[in-house]
Amino acid sequence: MIFPESTGPGRDTNGVFRFSFTRTQGDFSLEVAGDFGPGITALFGPSGSGKTTLLNCLAGLLKPDDGEIVLYGRDLYRGSPNMFVPPEKRRIGLVFQDGALFPHMSVSGNIMYGRARTPEADRLVDVDHVVELLGLRPLMDRSPGSLSGGERQRVAIARALAMSPRLLLLDEPMASLDARLRGVVLSYLRRVHDDLGIPMIYVSHSISEVLALADDALVLSRGRVVASGRPSRVLLDPVVGGMFRGDPVENLLDGTVVEQGGTGQSGRVRVGEIEIVTPPMDRPTGAPVIVALGAEEIILATEKPSGLSARNVIAGSITDLDLVVDGVYATVDIGVRILVALTQGAVDALSLERGQDAYLVFKTSSIKLLEAEPRGEG
Amino acid sequence: MSSDLTIVLLSLRVATVAMLIALPIGFGLSWLLVRKQIRGRFLIEAVVSLPLALPPVVIGYGLLILLGNRGPFDGLAFTTFAASLASAIVALPLIVRTFVVALEGVDPRLELAARSLGAGPWRVLMTVTIPLAYRGLLAGVLIGSVRALSEFGATIVVAGNIPGRTQTVPLGIFTRIQAGDDQAALRLVVVSITLAVATLIVHDLLLRRGGLAGRRDRAGFGA
Repeated sequence: MIFPESTGPGRDTNGVFRFSFTRTQGDFSLEVAGDFGPGITALFGPSGSGKTTLLNCLAGLLKPDDGEIVLYGRDLYRGSPNMFVPPEKRRIGLVFQDGALFPHMSVSGNIMYGRARTPEADRLVDVDHVVELLGLRPLMDRSPGSLSGGERQRVAIARALAMSPRLLLLDEPMASLDARLRGVVLSYLRRVHDDLGIPMIYVSHSISEVLALADDALVLSRGRVVASGRPSRVLLDPVVGGMFRGDPVENLLDGTVVEQGGTGQSGRVRVGEIEIVTPPMDRPTGAPVIVALGAEEIILATEKPSGLSARNVIAGSITDLDLVVDGVYATVDIGVRILVALTQGAVDALSLERGQDAYLVFKTSSIKLLEAEPRGEG
Repeated sequence: MSSDLTIVLLSLRVATVAMLIALPIGFGLSWLLVRKQIRGRFLIEAVVSLPLALPPVVIGYGLLILLGNRGPFDGLAFTTFAASLASAIVALPLIVRTFVVALEGVDPRLELAARSLGAGPWRVLMTVTIPLAYRGLLAGVLIGSVRALSEFGATIVVAGNIPGRTQTVPLGIFTRIQAGDDQAALRLVVVSITLAVATLIVHDLLLRRGGLAGRRDRAGFGA
């Protein structure tokens, strides 16, 4: 955490950030409330559910009709008595869907735009560090028109971070990226959060992304909050379940290449304290990589199995069992938390419960590897 | 009879003051029309465009009622300022129309991004809106200036045709034709044509290059 806790009035919650407001536009009405800590909060919901409107209200680009928005104990908006802090005084970073970079400025001009308007004392984020972190050093003199989608997105994130925001809002920052770049931006965001400690609210359509990134989740539908809380619980909730049917749940794990592997030989990736056997890859040893593992692909055993063809057998303990529409999701802690999809029948047969030890079994071929770092230019 | 130089310089002075009046108003109105969902939008558009549809003489007469004897601004008629005001009003619709097109080409999300990055409305205008729209804005300034320089009908009614005070190039030409001094009239005609052609060429160049740049800029936002 780089921002001091406020001592002002309104700090009667555990949260860094809380809001409760309404806004009506035409025949769409948004009526939301939330209270979040310093982590990453995912905003989830079908298109048209009001996610972008909510972000715009938080950033001050739209004005609610009534209610309140409080950040670090400071009122940003209050319906009565009426008070409204304009967006330029909020220091809330906003990353638009396609970046919205200034086309008449260079990459470095874009990045420094907000920085130049941040008071000296508030410049808590080291721009060089952000530029390095996001791999933008070679792009600084380029014009936004010449960048790829992923590069534009990273510049937009750097631009918002360079002004040392108190809160970072990301509106589907990965919507325009291909699968390879998703991994890259995902790992950047996580690193940015870990290194800089800036709370984030993140709009996403992908449950796997949310599970990989977020500490909290808020689910919107037709302008109302339908669920909020821990992502694995909230997103697997039967009420929410219908929204992402068809989106397979994947565990996305940050790892480092231990062994590349090659023809006929598996690779190995270290994730936290454990090593996972993976398909061979063309990433060098020591390179960061994201391991994607479908929740449906994992077998859960209560005793250590032997004589298996599957190469990965990893010990852990069950921390949660969440009921969903067509089964149960078990959260298993193996140093990192892994979601495993089970049927109710299996849970009953094994009489699984929280706190119990378990082994995860999965085949090498069920693992997909996503790059966590761009390969040079492009 | 005034010298050619006196007439040309006065014309430039009248047009400059006219632009100083019309440009801020024109920009403000265009910005309102493009960026704000205001009530009475149609009314503003109609009133601003009216001088395009009306005979300039009618504009001049309206101004004469306002600025003349017993009018609310008594004493301003038949002054250099009255000539500028007449020019400003006839130039305004052309300025607003060009500015509206220029501002519509600026993605409003860029302005919102700038606000979220700590720039107040004024700074957003100076660092994002105007730099991105400047070709179209410059075209509006030029087309407005050309119109102001060629103003005749409204000016002669509200400002008269006073040498050295309100006698601009078009009025000077008129006077010299009336006096049968064709050669003197032709000299001013040449000045007039030169000014107009030069401005229109620059205007055309700006719009053509603006169009290309506009496409390049948009390519920059593509997914």
